[in-house]
Parts: sequence; C-alpha cells; structure tokens
Amino acid sequence: MEKILEVRELSKQYSKVLAADKVSFDIGKGEIFALIGPNGAGKTTTIRMISTLLTPTSGDAVVAGHSVVNAPDKVRQCITYLPDEAGAYKTMTGMAYLKFMAGLFTSDKTTADSYVKRACEICGLGDRLRDKIGSYSRGMIRKLLLARAVMPRPKLAILDEPTSGLDVLNAIEIRKMIKSLAREEGTSFLLSSHNMLEIEFVSDRVGIISNGHLMVTGETAELKQRYSAANLEEVFERVVLENEVH
Amino acid sequence: MKFINLLKKELSELINKQMILGLAVTMIILMFVGNMMESTIGEAVSESYSINICDRDDTELTHTLLNELEASGASVKLCQAEGDDYSAILEENDIPSLVIIPEGFSDTLLTGGTSGQLISISAMDSAATMSNISNDNSGALALIEDRLTNILAIEAGISENQLALMDNPLVISEQTVVADNSAAISIDDVMNDVMMQNMILPIVVFVLIMMTSQMLISTISNEKIDKTLETLLSAPVSRTAVIAAKMLAAAAVALINAAVYMFGFSFFVSGATDSVTEEMNATAAGQFISVDAALEQLGLTLGAVDYIFIGLQLFLTIMICLSVSLILGAMANDIKSSQNMTMPILMLAMVPYLISMLADINSLPMIFRVIVYAIPFTHTFSAMSNLMFGNTAVFFGGLAYQAVVFLLCMFFALKLFKSDKIFTISLNFGQKARFKRNTK
Repeated sequence: MEKILEVRELSKQYSKVLAADKVSFDIGKGEIFALIGPNGAGKTTTIRMISTLLTPTSGDAVVAGHSVVNAPDKVRQCITYLPDEAGAYKTMTGMAYLKFMAGLFTSDKTTADSYVKRACEICGLGDRLRDKIGSYSRGMIRKLLLARAVMPRPKLAILDEPTSGLDVLNAIEIRKMIKSLAREEGTSFLLSSHNMLEIEFVSDRVGIISNGHLMVTGETAELKQRYSAANLEEVFERVVLENEVH
Repeated sequence: MKFINLLKKELSELINKQMILGLAVTMIILMFVGNMMESTIGEAVSESYSINICDRDDTELTHTLLNELEASGASVKLCQAEGDDYSAILEENDIPSLVIIPEGFSDTLLTGGTSGQLISISAMDSAATMSNISNDNSGALALIEDRLTNILAIEAGISENQLALMDNPLVISEQTVVADNSAAISIDDVMNDVMMQNMILPIVVFVLIMMTSQMLISTISNEKIDKTLETLLSAPVSRTAVIAAKMLAAAAVALINAAVYMFGFSFFVSGATDSVTEEMNATAAGQFISVDAALEQLGLTLGAVDYIFIGLQLFLTIMICLSVSLILGAMANDIKSSQNMTMPILMLAMVPYLISMLADINSLPMIFRVIVYAIPFTHTFSAMSNLMFGNTAVFFGGLAYQAVVFLLCMFFALKLFKSDKIFTISLNFGQKARFKRNTK
C-alpha cells in the first residue's frame, strides 16, 4: 500500500516535559488511523507536529514525500487539519467561510468554486449556509468544519477529536462521512479520540499512546486478540496500565 | 491572491455595521457639540457688552455716567432693586448680573474726596468656564471706571489729551522671539494660536493607539481562543502573509477612524475657538501685526514636507502599536485576559499624552525627559511642537528611535509567530503561582 504518512521517531520536548517520545507509525492511502490515549498522553502534540504547527525536537514525519522539518510549506499543501473544539469566524456566513478557506488552498477561481461546491454537498447544511456561523449549533459548525477539511481533497486529513461535544446522531453522521471519504475517494485520515466505540467503528488501525510513548499499533481485531480483550476499551486499559507499571 | 483573500477576511471582520454606525454617531456628536460651543461662546461674548445697572443714587453725575456708557456702545439696562437680598434682585429682574450705584455715591466722590463704592453682583450657574462668561461684571466695571474717570477729569479741567497720556504713559512694543526669528506680537497671542494648533494631534494619536491595539489584540486572541488560528496556520499560506494581512487591515481601519476623529475634533475645536481667534486676530492686527503673519515671520507655520514627516512618525507609531499588539494578543488565553492586554499600551500612551497636554516635554528635567522620550509614542505627541520650534534633532532622533523600536518589536512578533510559542505562550500569573504552590 502506498504510504501517505511516515512518522519516524518524532519527539517534542517542552522545557521540562517530554510530550512525545520517539513516536513512529505509518498511514497508507485511504487508511483511517486513530491515535488514542489518556489526557496529556501526547496525541495533540504529535498531531500538531504532523500539521507543521509545532517543530519537532527530533525525528521527522514525511507526508506524501515531504518532510515536516525541511519542507513544511509543501506538507501544508497536502494536508488539512481540524483542531479539537475548533470554531469558525462567527461574523461570516457558512458560504463565505468556505469560500475564504478555499481561497487559501488555491488561487484559481474555478478550482476554488469546485472546492466550495463539494463542501456544500458534504456538509448538507443547505440554505443555512447563507446564515451567519454565529447562529449555528455545535453540530452544524462541526459539519461545516469537516466539509472544509475535506473539500480540497487532501492526501491526509488530520482530525483531532472529530466528534467531541456532538450528540449521537451528529456523531454517527460524521463517522459515516469519514468512512465513505476514505473508501470512495482514497483520502487518508489521522484521527484522535477518547471515544473507543467511535474508534472501533471508524478506524482501520489504531495506535495507543501514553506518556508520550506510542505503546502499540495494529488493527482493532488483532489488538483485541493480542490482549485477550473483549473490546478496544479493554485493550486501551491494559496497555495504559502496563505502561504505568513499567 | 491568497494575501488579498486574507486581507478581505480581516477587513470584513473589522469593518461592520456597528463600527460604521459608531463612527457616524461620533462625527454627529462632535459636530453638534462644536456648533453648540460656537453659538454659546458667541452669545456669551456679545452679552459681555451689555450692562445691567441699578441707579439708587439718581444724581446728575450718575445720569451723565449712564449717558456716557450708552454713548460708548454698551447696551445699558436699568433695573429696580430694593434691599440687599441680591439673589431675589437678580431673580426679579431676570438677569445674571447687576451693578448697583448706592445712594450717596456722588456725594462721597465729589465732596468726600474718597473713592465711590459700587456693588457688583454676579450669579454663578455652574463650574463650567463658558457658562459664567456672560455673568462676569469685570468688563462692565472697567467701562464704568473709564467713563467716570473721563467725567471727573473734565470737571477738574483736565483736557482729554492729558487724560489719555495719564492713562497710557507707556506704549509697549512687544517682540516675540523664536530661535533666530522675531515678530512684533505679544507672546500670549502666539501661545494661544500655537496651543490651538497643537490640540488635535495628541487626541488623534491617543485615539489611534487605543483603537489599533484593541483591534489587533482582540482579533489575534479570538483566533487563538476559537482555534481558528491553528486552522489558518496549517493551511498552505505563509505565516508572514497572515500577520501582514492582520496588520494592514487593522492599520487601514485605524486610519479611517483617525480621519473621522481628526475631522470631528477639528470641527469641535474650531467651534470652540473661532470667536476667540477672530477677536485675537483683530486686536493683534490693530496694534502690531496679524497673528497669522507673525507665525509666518516666526517660522511657526508648518509646510507640506513637515506634515509628511509628521505623517511618517504617526505611521511608525501605528506600526509599533501593531507589532506590540501582535505579541500581547498571542499571550491572551481568554476574553478577559485579552481585554487586560491593552493596559500596557494604554499606560505607555497615557504618560506622554497627559504630559504633552500640560507641559513642554523638552523643558522637563533631563532624567524625566529621557524616561518620557524612551516611550516611543512620546515622539509623535511632541512631533508638531518639535518641528514648529526647530527642535529638528529631537524630531529626527525620535523618528530614527521609533524606526529601531518598530524593527525590534516586529522582529520579536515575527519570531513569536513563526515559532511554537504562538500556541504555547500565555500570561497567567495566578495560574503560575498556583502551580508553584502545588509543586512545593
């Protein structure tokens, strides 16, 4: 399988805290990879380094052949990033926001229009796109942001807690959207989440991270078998406890 | 193309209906107050030539005095007043001031050989300077004294020429010197005019600094709090373009505000000072030389090049303000702290603003002068005065200093935005103190 992301011994040291310690994993084309871990485990730090927002202390991540250390500008042309609990510009309408974001990914008007058209179809907000974002519910904002993240057909879409704070129906809709985009369009996804049920449903492979270390990676079924666990939640519990004992 | 997209987004966020409405209301208020001041002062000045008088003495001398007052152009209103309840007297006659000539005034003056006594009553309506101008009797009393002296002199056989000589035994030729130039004008007239010219710039600079910093700090901190900054900086657009668009939009909106305020304030100030200036010009022209000609002669007028330099200094002040605001906005981690972040800039602007209103910064003791001039905004507050009075070394030194401060601030702002610190930096002393206590 063609590799879209190769993370090699990626580390991040804040003054006294080692937030990510030699994290390594790969993501193939059209694959959905989920990073799971307790609060402060290093998920967001790892994701931010791959998104070129933070500079790694050591190691590297290569996105579609471009290094986040040496060619961050090229990396940004291949990725989109949806931060955890991100908002949008409240004074803009949904449509104006999509047009603005499309204009950042391309200078060609026709291409930008095609991005916006695609985003309108994906988010399913219809006429509400003419309203100001300030009047949107949390679920509507999340759908708009997710549509924004996938509209330029990125090689890698990085979604930090994509369904956090959403009700069940909205969360299901977004999970289905991610799965269909990966299967039908070959978009690769790097997700992070606390919700094990969501991860088990949506991801092809998972990586469990604790105290900055990536403890284990593998397919859900394979991990359940390896740890003799009934579900991913049990796998997660055993891996994290094992790490704390060591 | 991407930069234009960013700039349009920033401008659309800053220029909204509320902002336009706010500017329109400010303009209307300033114009309304300016008009009101002009009519109030005009009315007060005209009222100061009218005299309310009560003649309790009722003699030939007082009749002559009243006739003389009317002949000199004053509007004399004769009032009736009994007793010494002065408040009731003013109320009954519906007047703000009154001069009473008491019974026996003429006898004291003509046969007693001592000064006659007048009673001057003035009502005070408020603490405002302008509201009490028409209530002040000093103009009326001076005119009465002048006319009475005339009458007494004629009765004593002194000719008008001799009296005029006794009144004005000296003719003072006032000369005001500025650097190498001098003009035949009173220093008070020059000071008044220069003060009026220097009044608007500090107000506009202060408003500009406040608006610019508040706008940029809130736009950066909102992006950080809403995490739209992460989305923006992970998009294929350079961080320099993101910063430049924010700064340009904030500077453009600040300049629109400055233009509106400058126009509004100049209307307000001209309303408040026009009547006084006209009178001052007339007086000065009658005696020596007009104020405008004197300012020209003294080198106190500014040319187009001077205004370009002042504009340059104003531009540098805005740029310093914007670059400092970038750093402060990045440090905010919630809405409350973003509001507090304007405080350092407010303090730095307040010091030179207040000092420039009350004193000449160049006349402060050396140590204070150095401290005040170390604040980069000070140079803009004193720009006009420095150019007018030929302190070109201070002016151009200030311009160079501001350029250096701007480059330094911009260097640190860019460094901050291009590093991880933009996502990790925050200023929360309370949190740090709690963290230290918990770790002990």
